[in-house]
Amino acid sequence: MTTDTIQILRPAGAPIHPAPESFVKKYVFSIDHKVIGIQYFITAGLMMLLSGLFAEAIRIQLLQPHNTFLTAQQFDEAFTFHGTLMVWFGAIPMITGGFGNFAMPLQIGARDVAFPWLNMFSFWTFPPAVLILLSSLAFGAPNAGWTEYPPVSLQAGVGIVFWTVAIFTVGIGATLTGLNFLTTIIKMRAPGMTFTRMPLFVWATGVTSFLSLVATTALASALGSLFLSHVFNIPFYDPARGGTVVLFQHMFWFYSHPAVYIMILPIFGVVSEIIPTFARKPIFGYKLIAYSSVSIGLLSFMVWAHHMFTSGLGPWVTLPFMILTMLIAVPTGVKIFSWVATLFGSRMRLTTPMLFTLGFLSTFTLGGITGVMLASVPVDWHEHATYFLVAHIHYVLFGGTVMGALGAIYYWWPKVTGRMMSETLGKWHFWLTFILFNTTFLPMHFVGLLGMPRRVAYYDPAFQGLNVFISISAFCLGVSFLLLIVNMFWSKRSGPVAGPNPWGARTLEWMIPSPPPYYNFREVPEVYAHPYSYGEPLPYSAPYNQVSTTPTY
Amino acid sequence: MAHQVGNIDFRRHLDRSFWSATLVMGVISAILMALVVIWPINDTLAAASDTAHTIDPIFKFMLFFAAPIFVYVNGYVIYFARRYKHRASEPADAVGIPLHGVTSLEIWWTVLPTVLMVVLGIWSAIGLFALYKPQPGALNLESIGHQWSFEFRYPGLKKSFYGNPYVPVDKPVTLNITSADVIHSFWVPQFRIKLDMVPGMVQQLHFTPEKIGVYPVICTEYCGVGHGDMQTTIHVVSQADYNAWLAGMQQKEQTAQAQGPNLAAGDPDKGKQIFAQKCSVCHNIAPFAQKKVGPGLQNIFDDPQHPKLVDGAAATPANVAHILQTGYSGDIGVMPNAQANGLSSGDIADLVAYLKSQSK
Repeated sequence: MTTDTIQILRPAGAPIHPAPESFVKKYVFSIDHKVIGIQYFITAGLMMLLSGLFAEAIRIQLLQPHNTFLTAQQFDEAFTFHGTLMVWFGAIPMITGGFGNFAMPLQIGARDVAFPWLNMFSFWTFPPAVLILLSSLAFGAPNAGWTEYPPVSLQAGVGIVFWTVAIFTVGIGATLTGLNFLTTIIKMRAPGMTFTRMPLFVWATGVTSFLSLVATTALASALGSLFLSHVFNIPFYDPARGGTVVLFQHMFWFYSHPAVYIMILPIFGVVSEIIPTFARKPIFGYKLIAYSSVSIGLLSFMVWAHHMFTSGLGPWVTLPFMILTMLIAVPTGVKIFSWVATLFGSRMRLTTPMLFTLGFLSTFTLGGITGVMLASVPVDWHEHATYFLVAHIHYVLFGGTVMGALGAIYYWWPKVTGRMMSETLGKWHFWLTFILFNTTFLPMHFVGLLGMPRRVAYYDPAFQGLNVFISISAFCLGVSFLLLIVNMFWSKRSGPVAGPNPWGARTLEWMIPSPPPYYNFREVPEVYAHPYSYGEPLPYSAPYNQVSTTPTY
Repeated sequence: MAHQVGNIDFRRHLDRSFWSATLVMGVISAILMALVVIWPINDTLAAASDTAHTIDPIFKFMLFFAAPIFVYVNGYVIYFARRYKHRASEPADAVGIPLHGVTSLEIWWTVLPTVLMVVLGIWSAIGLFALYKPQPGALNLESIGHQWSFEFRYPGLKKSFYGNPYVPVDKPVTLNITSADVIHSFWVPQFRIKLDMVPGMVQQLHFTPEKIGVYPVICTEYCGVGHGDMQTTIHVVSQADYNAWLAGMQQKEQTAQAQGPNLAAGDPDKGKQIFAQKCSVCHNIAPFAQKKVGPGLQNIFDDPQHPKLVDGAAATPANVAHILQTGYSGDIGVMPNAQANGLSSGDIADLVAYLKSQSK
């Protein structure tokens, strides 16, 4: 075999596409999962930074109990954009489209995903959706939060049309990506890679892809109903004309609860990769972690009404949702205990990705604990829609999703770029993030329990002290993100060359050059065992078992 | 081949250092758990009803078990990070113990949390049904949410009122809540309960106030630009004071004013203040097209392109006074009525005078 004839060795599969040559085919309309992953990462990253600016505007307004920095209308638009951008234009595309696209095919020894053209199409639903959403700021912006409950969401006029069309558009890409990844994982694993030899990130991506595929269509009905209500005056949500207001909440949350698991399950997968790598020992309880991901995925479809405990469901409908919500805490807790047990007897290296992962263990656990508190309906009747809830969601979404995503960025950056990041800047970034995250969001629990509702531009002056403390923390937390940006630029310019496996990890992506060649694997690897047995030889066919697993940093 | 520092037999790692660390975490947990038990929630946030006594113990139960979970997860992370830190003097390829799992441990840490959730579930279910249960002989009240104020109906009063409801202490109340427009929510933190005020549906809050005092009633479901200011207060008073209040309200109804506002006596300076407080959330003194939420009102009496008000009446001072009295609700939006805005007849006259003074 010469370098310019790549032959497929497995019986099933189409010939690999030839290397793209034009700028447009290489960087704009690429069908290479690695390029698409980077495109998702950059676009979603920019949207998360923009969302962070909206959040800082919120925190400036909340420095005073009746501030005039923003009008109430502008404030409402700010929290609406903050949530909307973070969920559908930030976390979901970065984690599924970004990390999933780049790492999953490499981890299963594939040359690309099952449907590369569809992958490219899926990405290109994302930038137009962003433009549609952001243009609403000029024509009439949505202002009823990322949940946009009718009837109030229909009072904003044309803003709701922009909002529903934008999310529907990006949702098409998300559904197709779910289909693409699920097919890839089921059909394109390297020979010998049975399900129980898959890396845990692949397990997590598989379950997440199932959720994306099945649940996103429910969101389409919720969005569609708002669109039809506004454009064609169909009274789905007008009780005077036969409508039922709570119906929207059922449709919306039937999707949006699985959506929060879409945002966290791949992160659980990343944590399950990072901990063994830097503890230098196998993940503790591999099977339990894999199966708990599946059970979380299935249970996630059965708990949606825990967002509706005060909405008017009555005790008998509420009860099963409460029980199932409490039960879904168990597989999540099991994972946390397994990760901590993996640290036992390790030879631990506290690199930046490992620090973010350990930080995740702390902050996500607290978020999970407050989640159980919200699961108890009597207690939820006090805590719902207050700053206690805002604290909970940020502990799981920032303390969980973002902390884990930051770990993933620092972990896979050498593979994507071929360069190392600065450990000094990385450690500063971690400690500032961890401390400032807690000082920003921990006080919100108290202010909520004492009587501050969410989504308010004005509050009782008794809460000003805590709000000022939170706001100042939040400003510093926002600024600390600059350390990551600086680190990225520094690394590209003068970071040390990474080599194929700087961390000494054992999953397949680390057995090929950094960055990988466009075809990923010259020959199809064979897999003989699961990847986490540090100290044993690598369980792959040559040449993939010849890369050193000694850390080189 | 990799070097191994540490022993394959993991039990060698369950040594004195490990158990000392575990004990220290246990002591810290025990202290926190004791603090949870003795912490008087009522000193931080008053427990002013029977419902608070249903809810606070469940919260404490959860906090009680949250403490050791939090301490042990964080504690072991810190302990293992220190004890098992890879030292520079060790070989670069050193690995940890090849421990894939301990089945008995995994069973325990699945079963115990499940048992805890079952106990929590049963206790919460009992609380849930208790909160939904109507109490016999309850005072039946109604509250209707509006953008952006609370309307109340009482037995014994012919008309509803906007403002501060009174309830007698130690008597059960059933508060029937709904909404006239969008979803609102009715929350009294000192009662620990809230339910949504949903248009087209009535929900019931059942409670018996136990502590005399004045407590905030807070809207906790986003309901538009006025959401942040949508609050009132509920007054829990003695039976005698309640009777006196009710009698006073009935008195006011009987002597309610029949005549409308005296527009000639309107004071534009007072009107300017009222405008800033009550109208400027949605309106400004600017040309019509410079909308905030509602149109600019600078030329309300003198705009050939907009000779009519939103309700179709001609833009005269008398009709402006009328629409301020009745409010407006329709396809293009909502303007609260005089009662919701807390406008007296004199206020309306002042506002009309102010708008006249701004008209060019």
